[in-house]
Amino acid sequence: MSSLSQAPVEPRRRLHPLSPLLRSARLIGLAIVAISWRGYAQLGTARFLEVVLLVLLGIIVLSIASWWFTGYHVVGRELRVYEGLLRRRVRAIPLERLQAVNLVRPVLAQAVGLAELRLEVVGGDKAEAPLAYLTVDEAVRLRDRLLALSSQATATRPGVAGGVPQAPPDQLVHAVTNADVVTGQLLTPQVWFVPVGVLAVLAQFAYSPEWTFVGVASLITAAVGVLQQPVRRVLDDWDFRLATSPDGLRLHHGLLDKRNETVPPHRVQAVGVTWPLLWRPKAWLRCRIDVAGYGPTEGRRQIQAGRLLPVGTMDAARLVVRQVWPEVELTALAVTPSPTRARWLAPLRQFVLGAGLTDTVFVSRDGLLTRELVVVPYARIQSVRVVQGPLARLLRLATVHADTAGRLHAIAHLRDVDEAWELAAQLTERARAARSAG
Amino acid sequence: MTNLEIVNAPVPPSALSPWPQTVDWHRVSPRLIWVEELQLLASAAPVVLGCLLGFLFLDPPWSTVVGMVGAFAAASAAVRALWIPRIVHSWGYAERERDLLVRHGRLIRRLSIVPYARMQFVDVTAGPVERAFRLATVQLHTAAAASDAVVPGLAPAEASRLRDRLTALGEDRAEGL
Repeated sequence: MSSLSQAPVEPRRRLHPLSPLLRSARLIGLAIVAISWRGYAQLGTARFLEVVLLVLLGIIVLSIASWWFTGYHVVGRELRVYEGLLRRRVRAIPLERLQAVNLVRPVLAQAVGLAELRLEVVGGDKAEAPLAYLTVDEAVRLRDRLLALSSQATATRPGVAGGVPQAPPDQLVHAVTNADVVTGQLLTPQVWFVPVGVLAVLAQFAYSPEWTFVGVASLITAAVGVLQQPVRRVLDDWDFRLATSPDGLRLHHGLLDKRNETVPPHRVQAVGVTWPLLWRPKAWLRCRIDVAGYGPTEGRRQIQAGRLLPVGTMDAARLVVRQVWPEVELTALAVTPSPTRARWLAPLRQFVLGAGLTDTVFVSRDGLLTRELVVVPYARIQSVRVVQGPLARLLRLATVHADTAGRLHAIAHLRDVDEAWELAAQLTERARAARSAG
Repeated sequence: MTNLEIVNAPVPPSALSPWPQTVDWHRVSPRLIWVEELQLLASAAPVVLGCLLGFLFLDPPWSTVVGMVGAFAAASAAVRALWIPRIVHSWGYAERERDLLVRHGRLIRRLSIVPYARMQFVDVTAGPVERAFRLATVQLHTAAAASDAVVPGLAPAEASRLRDRLTALGEDRAEGL
């Protein structure tokens, strides 16, 4: 702590001057639409322009004022973000608690060469302190500096002395072709639903022609709603590249909103490998990583975080998972199935359920149609739970949960009671050993 | 159930009461039964009373419906009231060298094993009813939302002892992620 007070406090820096305009672009658009809706006819052109100008002026003055009071600087091992016009807020983010740093470039910001820096920390329900917007150069420099300070705080690394580290360039590990991304999303139940819906409407047309307008309208609405997810996935997964850097994994993806995530491998809480039913003929799978900062609200935003491999073969998945944990060989992860009497409780998926222990990770398997393998390293287990319902007690079965700090939990469903007990003991012991080792 | 005969001596009979030789389980205070019963009463009484009033003052088709709803609510509350002592007796916690074990539940039995090193913070809470019975609840929070290490029905002295012990054990460990 004493070194902190002696370090010279660097001056507070402001965001890019264009950022208030970009941030309020949507607000300005909405305001203009709201005024034009009724106003144009009532006010006449001259008055209307006056009102629009006034509103624009108001918004611009307000955002410039808020821009003036927004700033950030690094103090010791903390990033301090100042914001707020009336209610001032200073947020101090200890950099050793940094989980991941994402550099996002939304469409509008791309057009003017700006980027947003999002810092993922645990505890916030959304990305904390998004620094919007900085120039791309500045954002990259700040990101590298924050990550260097972050890893310096947790483990000493040579060659980093407060300033900008001379990081070697990122090494590309794997890239996913856009054709695969599109094909993968065409092979989803949502897309297959559309022809079925069209057939349904045609059938309806054959029986009672007067209903078709309603039918077509509802079909279009339904199709838009249903297709939203695959379309968004394609937009998000476009141009997906995984690279390694000294700071951790670099994940680059996005068509409209370009996203560049940096995740240190030790921040990965779990890896989920999914085999959707319709992808099985192509032997494709999808991998996602779970980082503690990625809250549930992140999924509702236009860009989803946490993909490790949007679509790929087993070989690609092995390669990618090895970047996260070098010692984990995806094909060598064996699971032992749950006992056959678990069929009474899980009639359809009894033969899918499985769990296994390896030297460093706990693996569980679940899902009849969409099969999923969840890999949790012992070092990341937060707590172990054993749950037994009344029927499971009759059948001498119990379920073991290995909880992580993210959303992916490895769950060994319906194991034999003695085995479940042994599993819980093993998980606790191995988690303790892994904690004290690392 | 042929497995029953094969159970070896070191393996305990149930997965949810493990390590019986090395772990001494603490039970929660029996006064928690009264707290739970009162809370049940507070939640069930308005419904039952409302239905009773409806049964007495409404016209025939509705009075029967309301009366049946009220009877059902009263019956389920009574069953629950009889069940509460067993649930309270099922709560147990044990402090091992490196982790806290909490078990609870009769119908669905749960056992949580939470290492002290994973602790983010400890909550000690006491609602008005709990305070009237001189009880408190200690909850251990980890970074995982799913790990539920809640110990209700502790005497204040025991609650603060547990809290201090948990925080002391958590202190010298790493950041917990």
